[in-house]
Amino acid sequence: MTNRIWIVVFSVVALLCLGIWLFISNVSSPSKVVGIYKDGSLVEKIDLNSVTDEREITLSGDFGDNVILVSNGRIEMKSADCPDKICVEHGELKSSSSPIVCLPNKVVIKFENSTDGADAKAGAVG
Amino acid sequence: MKLLRKACILVMTAAVIFSSGCSLESKYDCEFFAMDTVMTINTYGSKSESAVKAAQNEINRLDKLLSVQKENSEIFKLNQSKKMTVSEDTLTLITRSKEIYTLTDGAFDISCEPLIREWGFYSGLENKVPSQKAIETALEGVGAEHIKIENSTVTLDDNTSLDLGGIAKGYASHKAAEILKDNGVTSALMSLGGNVRAVGSKPDGESWSVAITDPDDNSKSIGTLKISDKAVVTSGGYQRYFEENGQIYHHIIDTKTGYPADSGLKSVTIVSDDDALADALSTALFVMGLEKSEEFYSENSSLFGAVFITDKGEIYVTDNLKDSFMSEQGFEVISV
Repeated sequence: MTNRIWIVVFSVVALLCLGIWLFISNVSSPSKVVGIYKDGSLVEKIDLNSVTDEREITLSGDFGDNVILVSNGRIEMKSADCPDKICVEHGELKSSSSPIVCLPNKVVIKFENSTDGADAKAGAVG
Repeated sequence: MKLLRKACILVMTAAVIFSSGCSLESKYDCEFFAMDTVMTINTYGSKSESAVKAAQNEINRLDKLLSVQKENSEIFKLNQSKKMTVSEDTLTLITRSKEIYTLTDGAFDISCEPLIREWGFYSGLENKVPSQKAIETALEGVGAEHIKIENSTVTLDDNTSLDLGGIAKGYASHKAAEILKDNGVTSALMSLGGNVRAVGSKPDGESWSVAITDPDDNSKSIGTLKISDKAVVTSGGYQRYFEENGQIYHHIIDTKTGYPADSGLKSVTIVSDDDALADALSTALFVMGLEKSEEFYSENSSLFGAVFITDKGEIYVTDNLKDSFMSEQGFEVISV
């Protein structure tokens, strides 16, 4: 009898642990966390949902400055001195498989977790 | 006492399950700029970091060797001197490129450099529509017959220059994947500027989901491929283009005409075990168009699978990919 009780108790504990682990892994990876990278190194990580005041982040590169605009739930390249302006034309960051990339100044803005179920995107313009 | 021992065993078993679950999730990501594009390598497992560094070094080494624009690269020097003894990697790629030229009846052609230059698709150049005369002059040096290989010496005709841009990233992803595997990585996903390569499957054993860019809206996808241990490469006119007098000119040049390929396709995605082949075929089949590509597939279906998006927005999928491709839109299946 006591044997069974122990098994039940530990099964419950194990299930609870599993539940907590699943909960934590979900909470620790919200889809609105973005990373701003310069030449492969992380400059800043931002949870867009917790942004209250709009602000600008300026990064300098070989082709002048990139000005990133961050507001609640939203991030975009506001302006750039690079020759092609592809990063500015990209507009708001919407999905993890389409990061904002400024090739000339080596800046990447991307979601830290998948937002669209895909692990990678073929043919994405780099 | 006995019960306590049982309890301990149970707790320890739970701990082992948990820790193994966590180690499966240990992830190392790396992002860097090479070959004029942005690259990402995502790996899982404990040996990731050193393996990724080694793979990154290899890609940078190949970039320095194969770049058409870097002044110290072998390709740059070969284009200048027209005759040169080249390294093993360069020789392998030029030889392979000539083979694929023959296989695709000239639709993949690394002697396209003079044409790409005329159209201004190199950084630092201005995009422009060349004069008919300039195109005809450039075409004189185009074609694999102008490239001769003897042992490890490559000789180019006077007006011939090479551009390995249509195959170098594929070759680099193959070499990088080999390095990851040699270093004990069994689960990784790379993107070399949109050239995707999977090493093994996801840590949980599932296939990777690789989206295909919607040619009309690059922030969206047109469908998803489920793959393991394969390369997925897309070529599309949307990737690089310019507009002149209301006309769009994209960067995939048909070396038979000297003009951007106008074959009725918006993009071609190739899935293959062979990264370099996938890279080259994505360009070649884009140039060929759907009809010729169907013929080509029926003769070479063991080498690759493909997803075509036509100018009208229709999707065609080769039958060897029909079970791994998903799209909200309907699609036609191409049979052998």
